[in-house]
Amino acid sequence: MSKALIIDDEQQMRRLLRMVLESRGYEVCEAAEGQLGLQEAAFHRPDVVLLDLGLPGMNGIEVLKRLREWSDVPVLILSVRDQETIKVEALENGADDYVTKPFGTAELLARLTVIQRRRFTRQSAEIIVGPLKLDLLHHEASLDEVPLKLTPTEFALLKVLAEHAGRIVTQNQIMKQVWAGQTSDPSEGLRVHINHLRKKIGEAGPRIVNEPGIGYRLEDGS
Amino acid sequence: MSDSKSSSAPPSPKPVSLAEVGQYSCGLTLVFVLASSCWVLLPYTGDLFVALVFLMAIVLAGTWWNRGPVLMMAVVSALVWNYFFIPPQYTLHIDKPQDMVMFSLFFIVALSMGHLITRLRAREATLAQHHQEREHLLELKHRAELLAESERLHRTLLDSVAHELKTPIAIIRTALDGLGQGNPYACEIETANRRLQRIVENFLEMTRVESEALEPQPDWCEIGDVLHAAIKPIQQELSEHTLLITGTKDLPLLRLDSRLLAQVMGNVLHNATRYAPAGTDIEIQASLAGSTLELRVRDHGPGLPLGAEDQLFEKFYRAPDSPAGGTGLGLAIARGLMRAMKGDMEAHTHPTGGAEFVLHLPVKTRSAA
Repeated sequence: MSKALIIDDEQQMRRLLRMVLESRGYEVCEAAEGQLGLQEAAFHRPDVVLLDLGLPGMNGIEVLKRLREWSDVPVLILSVRDQETIKVEALENGADDYVTKPFGTAELLARLTVIQRRRFTRQSAEIIVGPLKLDLLHHEASLDEVPLKLTPTEFALLKVLAEHAGRIVTQNQIMKQVWAGQTSDPSEGLRVHINHLRKKIGEAGPRIVNEPGIGYRLEDGS
Repeated sequence: MSDSKSSSAPPSPKPVSLAEVGQYSCGLTLVFVLASSCWVLLPYTGDLFVALVFLMAIVLAGTWWNRGPVLMMAVVSALVWNYFFIPPQYTLHIDKPQDMVMFSLFFIVALSMGHLITRLRAREATLAQHHQEREHLLELKHRAELLAESERLHRTLLDSVAHELKTPIAIIRTALDGLGQGNPYACEIETANRRLQRIVENFLEMTRVESEALEPQPDWCEIGDVLHAAIKPIQQELSEHTLLITGTKDLPLLRLDSRLLAQVMGNVLHNATRYAPAGTDIEIQASLAGSTLELRVRDHGPGLPLGAEDQLFEKFYRAPDSPAGGTGLGLAIARGLMRAMKGDMEAHTHPTGGAEFVLHLPVKTRSAA
């Protein structure tokens, strides 16, 4: 059974999330503010953390940074709209994904499942996302067993997205991993390569979805 | 007093001002008045007293007047003292060596006094000026800080109001999801909650647009992504229409604030779904003319009320006979956002029926290759 920690200052929100999560078999603990949340995290060792960004006192980003000093538990950010910069900040400080309030329960649960599947467990040299298969050993990709002709950059880009399949990856994170910050106008290059990748993957494969101001998400539609 | 060159304040060959001319004549008059009164008193006082009176006059003059008149006074009073008071009188010749020394001392002291005092005043004046400048700068800085602070407060207030308004909506949404889809009453609450959410978001966005706290952050993007982001939140409203999108595939990468443009498109599309009858098409056409992106959104509804082409972008404007619900803010926000991005938008009734909205936005482009 998975343990979830909810850090949110709204009591009603906590109660509802507890009901939703408990009905899905989670064991739930909660905290109304950041400092307590950190203590709970240390004490209960949750498998996943739901963190509200708009906490009173110690804000969500600060809680996240402190948590990341000693734990790599998956963290899902709960935030309101129009906080793109702060969402990006959270993601780049180690949050795994976010949902925007008001969110649907289905969306929340799906995100929780994906982030718990955990970052690349790297036991095999293959990443599989629906019909898409990446062979890391030979740097080859295939869609429904048909080889895709990808340039090294496109392969690297697809690898980053596939490793995080279903999860958001910020533009900076992609750029760091693919180009190591070595292009002059990286975002333009990124768009161009994404464009090519989309064309090569076509309608049959997973979709590369852009979230304006934040980054990309590889969604397995199948 | 060797510092006559270093001390002489900036060698300013400026023309002698009217005030200075007055000071020169006053100086002369003063020396004359003092000399004549001392001359009368000479038998009772002796010539040393006269020297002291002159020195005092020079010091006093130095505290009020410019350097020129004061130095002139020093020279004139030294000569007057020599001529009228030092024996032998009425000649510049001096007999006794000690009188000679006295005269030289007087001359030096008088000159340096005048010089030092005027220099002191000049320094005070510059200090005062610096002080004034600093005060001025401080005041400017203070004002800038106040402005930034008020902006920050405004934003914080907006954020906390946003949080307060959206939290209950989020709670209702989550609770409804918990109730399940089957209940028809729950469906009604869900619809009402979505409407409430839209109203709250519109009001908040309007405040943001009006407070000019909006800074577009352009980045390279693909127009398809922008439209995708615009459509996603209003999928439910759009489900009764067929969306026909043309021209997006031909466009190169564009540099614009995709989040803001997505919001504009979302509002325009949502507006179309409210007026166009269910089952009709909504057309989106994208094109690039030079460095201006043009987006046309056309519906097959009743078109615009006559003469309302501009009015409809006004805050709280509601078209006559428009369906219930809606705040009359969506299009005002859309235009506000377009203008914040240095673009604009207008609307007209299409010659063959239906409303057409045209958005223009200056963009940087580079071929997507």
